[in-house]
This record gives sequence, C-alpha cells and structure tokens, in this order.
Amino acid sequence: MENNKLIDFVNISKSYDGNLILDDLNLYIRENEFLTLLGPSGCGKTTTLRILGGFESPDVGRVIFDRKDITNTPPNHRQLNTVFQKYALFSHMTIAENIAFGLKIKKKSKAYIQDKINYALKLVNLDGYGNRYPNSLSGGQQQRIAIARAIVNEPKVLLLDEPLGALDLKLRQDMQYELVRLKNELGITFVYVTHDQEEALTMSDTIVVMNQGYIQQIGSPERIYNEPENAFVADFIGDSNIIPGIMIEDRMVEILGARFECVDEGFGKNKPVDVVIRPEDVDLVSPEEGTIQGTVTSLIFKGVHYEMDVMANGYEWLVHSTDLVPVGQKVGIKVVPFDIQIMNKPASEDEEAVTINE
Amino acid sequence: MNKKKWLATPYFIWSLAFILIPLGIIVYYGFTDKNGVFTLYNVMQITRPENAKALGLALLLSIIATIICLILAYPLAMILTSMNVNQTSFIVLIFILPMWMNFLLRTLAWQTLLEKTGVINSILNALHLPSLNIINTPYAIILGMVYNFLPFMVLPIYNVLLKLDKDVVNASRDLGANEFQTFIKVIFPLSMPGVISGIMMVFIPSLTTFVISTMLGGSKILLIGNVIEQEFTQGSNWHVGSGLSLVLMVFILLSMIVMFKYDKEGEGGALL
Amino acid sequence: MKNFIKRFYLLLIFILLYAPIITLVVLSFNNSKTRAKWGGFTTKWYHELFQNEQILNALSNTLLIALLSALIATIIGTIAAIGIQNMKSKGRSVMLGINNIPMMNSEIVTGISLMLLFIAVGNIYGKMSGNNAVSLFGFITILLAHITFNIPYVVLSVMPKLRQVNPNTYEAALDLGASPIYAYFKVIIPDILPGILSGFLLSFTLSLDDFVITHFTKGAGVDTLSTKIYTEVKKGIKPEMYALSTLMFGTVLLLLLIVNYAPKKKENADGLSFSKVGEFKKVIAVAMVFVIFLGGFYAFRGNSSLNTEQVIVYNWGEYIDPEVLEQFTEETGIQVVYDEFETNETMYPKVEAGAVAYDLVCPSDYMIKRMLDNDLLAKINFDNVPNIKYIGQTYLDQSKEFDPTNEYSIPYTWGTVGILYNKKMVKEPVDSWSILWDPQYKDQILMQDSVRDAFAVALKSLGYSLNSTNRTELEQARDLLIEQKPLVQAYVIDQVRDKMIGNEAALGVIYSGEAIYTQRENPDLEYVIPKEGSNIWFDSWVIPKNAPNKENAEKFLNFLCRPDIALKNFEYITYSTPNEGARELIEDEDIRNSTIAFPDVSALKNCETFQFLGDDVDAMYNELWREVKSK
Repeated sequence: MENNKLIDFVNISKSYDGNLILDDLNLYIRENEFLTLLGPSGCGKTTTLRILGGFESPDVGRVIFDRKDITNTPPNHRQLNTVFQKYALFSHMTIAENIAFGLKIKKKSKAYIQDKINYALKLVNLDGYGNRYPNSLSGGQQQRIAIARAIVNEPKVLLLDEPLGALDLKLRQDMQYELVRLKNELGITFVYVTHDQEEALTMSDTIVVMNQGYIQQIGSPERIYNEPENAFVADFIGDSNIIPGIMIEDRMVEILGARFECVDEGFGKNKPVDVVIRPEDVDLVSPEEGTIQGTVTSLIFKGVHYEMDVMANGYEWLVHSTDLVPVGQKVGIKVVPFDIQIMNKPASEDEEAVTINE
Repeated sequence: MNKKKWLATPYFIWSLAFILIPLGIIVYYGFTDKNGVFTLYNVMQITRPENAKALGLALLLSIIATIICLILAYPLAMILTSMNVNQTSFIVLIFILPMWMNFLLRTLAWQTLLEKTGVINSILNALHLPSLNIINTPYAIILGMVYNFLPFMVLPIYNVLLKLDKDVVNASRDLGANEFQTFIKVIFPLSMPGVISGIMMVFIPSLTTFVISTMLGGSKILLIGNVIEQEFTQGSNWHVGSGLSLVLMVFILLSMIVMFKYDKEGEGGALL
Repeated sequence: MKNFIKRFYLLLIFILLYAPIITLVVLSFNNSKTRAKWGGFTTKWYHELFQNEQILNALSNTLLIALLSALIATIIGTIAAIGIQNMKSKGRSVMLGINNIPMMNSEIVTGISLMLLFIAVGNIYGKMSGNNAVSLFGFITILLAHITFNIPYVVLSVMPKLRQVNPNTYEAALDLGASPIYAYFKVIIPDILPGILSGFLLSFTLSLDDFVITHFTKGAGVDTLSTKIYTEVKKGIKPEMYALSTLMFGTVLLLLLIVNYAPKKKENADGLSFSKVGEFKKVIAVAMVFVIFLGGFYAFRGNSSLNTEQVIVYNWGEYIDPEVLEQFTEETGIQVVYDEFETNETMYPKVEAGAVAYDLVCPSDYMIKRMLDNDLLAKINFDNVPNIKYIGQTYLDQSKEFDPTNEYSIPYTWGTVGILYNKKMVKEPVDSWSILWDPQYKDQILMQDSVRDAFAVALKSLGYSLNSTNRTELEQARDLLIEQKPLVQAYVIDQVRDKMIGNEAALGVIYSGEAIYTQRENPDLEYVIPKEGSNIWFDSWVIPKNAPNKENAEKFLNFLCRPDIALKNFEYITYSTPNEGARELIEDEDIRNSTIAFPDVSALKNCETFQFLGDDVDAMYNELWREVKSK
C-alpha cells in the first residue's frame, strides 16, 4: 500500500480572513486511483484541490508528490493538470490552439502537437472541431475540450473541479461514463471534486467525504454507503433514517423502545449511539410480525419504488419499497441485523457542531 | 415587448439634431467655398506643408503619448486588480478625483512645475542635478497628454482585468506557462478590448488637442488642433477649418474601424 | 519585495497625478499675485474669492450646467438605453454607432459642429422673423452641447447593466399583477440603478471638466470656470481661481473619505453592490446640496437683474477695473454683460458672424479700420457722450489713421510696443531689435504670439514699414522670424508679464502699458523702444452695427470718459490713458510724468500705427505666420 502512494497531504491547514477552511488535513492518494473529494459547498474540497494544483498555498503543512515536497512549487512546474469548474478555456484561441497551449510551451515539435490534437479530439469525441472557437461550443463540448487540453500534457494526475456541475442530467450521466472510460484508457490518477454523491458513488475508487474543513470518512463507495461512520456521512450519502439508540450489549441495540438485533460489537454496554438504517432496508410486514408497529402516513410513487413515511414510536421512518401499502394502513417494521449500522455519537465539539448544522 | 424600442426615439431625434445635422453642416462647409460652390480646396489644404506638418506632428506626439500611457497604465491596472475590493473602489475614485480640478488649471500647474525656475528645477538644483528643460518643447506636450489622459487608459483596462476569470490564468499556469508566458499568451490578448478602448480614449483627444500644445508648448509648436482652432477663431475661415476637420475625422474613423474589429460588442469600453 | 515594487509604482503614479494639484493648492496660499514668485503665506484669496462676482458666477454656471446636463442626459440616456436594448440587432447597431460619434469624434469637431448649428439656426430664425441674424449663444447652447456629449456615456453605462437583468424578473412582476410601468420602476430600474448612477456621475464630472466644447458654444457674458480660466491663462490667472479649485477639490476629497471610511457593517456578497449604490447616493446627495445651494444663490442674485436694461461689452482680458462695472450699474441701473477676448483676430470673427451681438467692443487701431471697411460699425452719437472733451486732441488726431472722421471710435488706451529686459541678465545696453536675434539669449526671449506684432518686430528691424504689403519684404521678415525661432523660449501674449517678473526670461516683447506694472513687481526690469522704431497703438471703443442696446453703450462710453473713472481704470490696468482729465488727477508725480506711461507722441517719429491692409494681405500675413509657427 505505502509504496504506491503518489500524493501525500501532511498536516494541511488553510484559512481565509480568519475563517478556517482546512484544519490539519492528512490524506494520501495512490497511483492510478480515481479519488473523489465529496462534500457540501464550503467543506474545503475545492481548496484541497487548489492546493494540490498549486493555485493556493497552505498556511501550515506540506504537499508531497512522488516523494518530493511540492508545497512551494509553482503550478507550471507540477506534473499535474486541472480541469476547471467553468472550463476556463482561452476564448481568444481556437480549440486546436487551446489544446496545443501546454505543448507549445514545452516546445514540442509541430508534428507532435498536431498528432496530439487529433488524438485528444478523437478521445473526447470532438473530431473536426479544431478550428472553432470555444464560445461556439455547447457546455458539454467545452467540458470535453477542457479535459482534452489537460490530458495532452500527459499529466500523472488529472484534477477535476466539479467539471460536470454546469451540465444537464442526461449529459452528466454520459460524461460520467466518458470519464471512467478515459481514466481507464489513460491509466493515470484522477482527483475529482464534487458535491453530487451519486457522481461520486458511480465513478470513484475512493471517496473522501469532507465537511467544514474536516475529513469525515475515507473509503470505497460501497463502504461509504453501507457503513457511514457518522451521521453526517450517512445523511449526505443517500437517504437514511438516523435514529438515536442505546447499545444494550454486543449485537443488540434499543431503538425507540424496541430491541433490534444487529451485527456490531465492541461499543460497550448501555452506550448511547446513532443508528443508521437505509430506507430500502426497512421491511414492511404485518403488524404482528414487526419489531415495532406504525401507520403509513404518506405515499409517493418514485418510478422504481414507492417512497413511504411510516409513523412508529414517535419517529417518522423513511421507507423505500416496491410493494404498495396504502396510507393509513397499520404495518410492522422489521430490519435484517446486517442492515443496521451503528455509529458512535460524535465525540468532539467540532463534529457535534457539524451534525447540528446539518 | 417590442413597443419598448420606441423609447429610443427621443434620443434618436436628439442625436439627429445635435450630432448628425451639425456633422452635415461641417461636411457642407468643408466641401464648399464662400459662394457655396462645391470645391475640394478646403480638404486639400491638408497637403500644404505647414498643415501636413501639424498633422504629422500631432500624429507622432499622440502616438507616443498613447504608447507611454499604455506602458504606464497596464501595470497600474494589474496592481489595482490585485488589491482587495474595498480598497480598489477608493483607489479608482482617486484616479477620477483629479478631474474635479479644472483641466486647464491642472495643465497650467505643469507649467509652474516645469518652468526654468519652476518647482522641479528648483529641487533638481538643490540636489545639484542638471536641470530639466522640457517646457515649450514637444516633450512637455507629451507629458501633458500623458498626464491628462492616463486615467482614460487605466480605467478600461482595469475593468477588463477585473472581469477576467482567474481560473483562465490558473489554467495557463497549470498547463506549464510561467508568469511571463501567461501574460503574453493569455492575459494580454484577453484584455485587448480594454486596451483598444483605452487607446482610443487617449489617442483621439491627444491627436486633436489644442489646449495642451498651447499651454505647454509655448505656442511654438503647432498641432492640427491648433490649426483648426485658429481657422475658426482667428483666420475666420470656416470653410478651410471644416475641411481640415473632415480630414481629422477620417483619421478618427480609421482608428474606429480598428477598434470595432476588436470590440464587437460595441460597448466602447464604458468607463465605470 | 514584489509588494514593495507595487507600492512604489503606485506612489510614482500618484505623484504624477497629484503634483499639479498640490502645486495649485500651494499657489492658493501664495501672497504674491504672480505664479512665478512665492510671496509668503496668506488666506486672502479665499476671502476675495467670495467677493469676486465673476468667478462666483462662473462657478454657479459651471455647477448648474453640470447638474442639469447630467440630469437630463441621464433621463434621456436611460430611456434610450432601454429602447436600444429592445431593438433588433440592425437598429441597435445603427443607434450605437450614432452614440459613438460624440465619444469618438474629437471635442474640437463636436464643438465646432454645434457652433455652426447654432449659428445656422440663429440665421434661419432671424430670417423668418424678418430681422437680422439672431444670436442664440448663451447658457442654453452650452447646456444643449453638454447634454449631447453626456448622453453617450450614460447609454454606455446603462447598457451593460440592462444586459445583465434577468428578463424573468420583469415578467414575474407582470405576472404578479404589476402594470408595465410599475414593474419597470420597481424591478428593472433598481437593477440597473448602479449603471444609471455611474452614468450620471460620469456625465457630471465630464461636464464640469469640459473646456473645448464650451469654448465654441458659449455666448457673451456666460462663462464657465473653464472658459473663465482660459481667458485668464493668457493674462495671468487670478489667485482666487486657485483658491476655488482647492475648495472644490477639498470638498470632493472629503466626501470620498467620509463615504469610504464611515463605519460599515459587514456585508455579504449580495449586500456589497447595494452598499455601492448607497455610497453613490450619499455622494450625489451631498453634491446636490452643494449645487442647489450655489444655484439658489445664483438664482437669487439673478432675479434682481431680470427685465432690466443691459449693455453687452466685449473687451480685452483684465482690461477694466471690475469696480467700474459695478459702479456703472449702481449709478444707472444698467446691467453690464461682460465678455473677454485675447487677440483682435479672435474677436473679429465673433463680431463679424454676429454669433453674439455686442453693444461695445474694444479693438485695436487696424482692426477698427477693418471693421469699418467691412461695414460692421455704427456711428457714435456724440451728443450722448459729452465727456469726450476730456480726451486729448493729439490722440483724436492720431486716431484719424484708422477712423478718418473720428465718428466711429473713442480712444480707451494707447501705447507703444518695445522690449522689456532684465538688467541683471542683459549686461549690454539694449536699444535695438537686433538683440532679439542674439544667440547668447537662446531660450531667454519671449515673442508676441500675434501676427502683426511679431511681423512688426521683424519688419522694423529690417528697416521696412510695419504696414508693408510687399510680398518680398514680408518673406524676408518671415525668414528672419524663422531664424529667430530656435532662440525663442515661447510665443505668448500677456504672459510676458508674469514670466519676466518671475525671471523666467531675459528679454520680452511687450506693450508699454505692462511695463509700469512689471517694474513695480520686479525693479530689475527696464523698458525700451528700439531705435529702429516700433508700433504706436490705440485700443478704442466702437459700437457694432448690430448692437441691440446702442444708447446704453453710449451711456457706458460717457461713463468711461469721466476723469475719475478713467483714472480708476488707469490705476488698475496701468495702460496709458488718452484721458487728459484723468492724467491730471494722478497723484504720483513719477507716474504722471513717466515717459513710459506718457511719451510725447510727436517724439515717436519712427513709430507707426498699424493699418488695415485688406483681407487678402491679412491672409498673406496669416499664411506666412503659420509657416513660421510650424517650422
């Protein structure tokens, strides 16, 4: 693991006008990884990316790239390239000139540059657009040119700052595919910033969930989704029921006055915890069969499933189910032990604040 | 919705009366003699050696002044852009502030500063430095032009630079360009609209000035503006004056064409 | 380090921008009347400023024109911008093209074109009403001109803001039941307000600072600060002007500081633009109060003179004691509308064109002849001017050279042209024009910036008549002047006085009348009439044919011929007076018997009066002079 570490953030802190944006951040990125920084706006993800790109310098801490300290290296001497949020194409240059920009600076031969332009345009499916100007292109096309412009320089790492933010849903989904395809084709590291959890889950190898300058959780998409480490992550990634409970003993938790079996151990006895249950993991059964009982209070058709609210023991459960249960019907609630995720209550004050704000 | 376009009518009538018709009168005078007969004589007056020289000198001095303004103003605009917002609005106003002191007095003050026994030379003498004798020379006129029109160069460039997407600059650095390359290849070309309107706003008044050349040139140096002014106020020959004005307008028109090539928006670079 | 360079650069630019302004501020506290000398600290100019009617009038005109033109231009411009915004692209580019004309055209062409327009309209109006051409020039013409060059700036300030406005907000307002006009005022106008305000402020500033366009469109007696200063530049600026500029500048600076450093709450990004509007509002509000105060002051004073008799006088700059004008108004109730010119050549076309109808003009000898020849003058009814008896007969006889019947003019001042030199700088005796060609005085020589005077010097030193019409002689004179040009420090008119007092030059060609004043200020100065001879000149009052108030003009003439009044003027302007009665009243014997002030006319045998040489010869002089100037 250690040996293919490509980038290492060590104790990074950064503040603007007295507002702490990043607080003692430590993070490493492996070679050939698709790593996503995920979090709400203002969480510090973009600042992290800009520090890596060299557009900001940290107040405290170091950035190690390929075993070298690059904290004070200007952006033009870093072996990475960035795709900017609003593309930042040079409007006074043609598409071909935009793509050739970095290569010309590096004094590559004309033939080489021409080859690269053709290759890059093909790669992003915009063959033949070389002589047009950026303003004559659609948002998605400009996006792809921005990517082409970055990758022709053969960076070791490509930084992408919310690159799909300005695109509509269908295009965004197509571009997600494209990006994954590109990454596989190029075999380089992608560092991706987004606030869209679906995007993060679809594309990433590793997701870093951030909030208010802190890393909340690092892990694979499955892990982040299925085993959120705290209420913030659980809430931010997908819908979930977060219910305060008490860990009675190992593998037994009490929620809303009823005892549920679970698979977690090692929390101690009679300890207050947060319990996360994904809506699709809530099984609606007949009242007799359920661990607790409640009444359906609302019903919405969502296409793939129905979304229902069930009032039970003073908590409104969010439930996703393919079976329709009419409003007003009494139901029982049951959860498979494996689907119950136990989290410690936040320990530090800062993290507490985070939860409250959310 | 389309009814609103008629709101431009009052201004259209106004500009017809006070812009287009007066220009028409100048054209009429420029192409007729005292008896109202068509002639090219007035316009051809520009080929007289002294008039041609006045035009040439005006072109030369105003081009030099424009270049100096550009060289001074660009770094200035960049520095202003890099300052934080609150300070900037104040500093920009500081540039407009001198305009509240009369233009003639400001120019006259330069006379006091530059004279042989003036303030600057007194200081230079006290420091045992050679004195500066530029009053009543073309250098003083250039100084006057630069001084008076510098704000008109700074403000449009500043405005363009302020609107420039910082990430475009970052992108250039990111793609390997150093600061100098970034400036040459990205920042400067993108600021062209501001530069062009700045050039127009310095070049045109410099080319046509008659006040600065009179006050700082000791009336020894005749620019085209002086010639035209004298035709109207002293020579009493409006026909020749109008003819020469038309020639001047041709030069302005040429520079406008250059400008529109770059500034397709037709904004002309609003000042504030 | 980088920051240091930045700061240093900013500092340098600020020095460049503010050096002249500081100079003016310093000058406003200078006890000496001339710019060239520091005479100790004083605040007297500030006191005198508030007594100086002419400057205060010019100030209130300036502010009133700036305010009104900015206001009207803002209204027309904003409405036009909305209209243009809603036009199709073709119409829009036509309108924007027209809009660009005044901005891109030179001020001088704009000014001249408007002047020609107002003259043409005046002529047409005159013909329609069966009278002579009517002069429209005055406050209104300046205002119209200023509005014209202000509108484009308003349009250009508002257009970008209009483009940013989200059209949906307007539609939302309509949707919520607002009428279109209400929606515009409640939704669109607040959105574009920053643009409107900056357009207004820009217009106000440009109007305040304009000289060229005002210069060409102003009428008699209406001066803005700019035109007032321009006439004074040639004569030497009155220090009150510096005081006024300092006050105006200080006021604006103070406003800015208050607005910028007033305690402000922390604002979010949205609030920022709002607060800017607030700032502008504050500035404008205070500026308005300032303007309205002065405007009211002006209107109050203006009211008292409405519907009264007036006389419109066109005189040389600084050529009358302002108290004399007040005294005349006090004694007769006739208001004096006073306007100034710098040279005969600038005066003539104005009178000839009838752009402004003057009642009384004070040209020099040869110009009077020219006006007579061109039938521009009216006979003076001497029954109304009994005080003519105080004018010395010798002077009237001499006047026959240009006014053969003595029916059209009354001498006001007279004198010679000679060399003023600084005894400390010029060691050798000065008695000949040739010293003006001596290379050791390179850059120490001041020549007159007027055709006839300059040629007179050259012709006389060649031994020709200064009324020569011989092309060969004139070309020789031209060549001589061209030869002299590298030695000349500057061609000036009345500035010779200030520059000589300030030791800026060693030798200057000057009118005898200035000699007394300059000697008083700088005892090193000496005046001589060169032995080759020189010009003896008269400035006399004439009444133009189209004078609207001829009788008042004669009343004023009679008043000027009164010995006590003539004396007052003599003491103020120090030019020799032909008024024998006044001369007797002079208390200072040195001056009464001064050969500079009152040389014996018969002794000046080498001296000639300028003759009018005909339009063609005049044109030749002008042409040759321009060849000199452009070399």
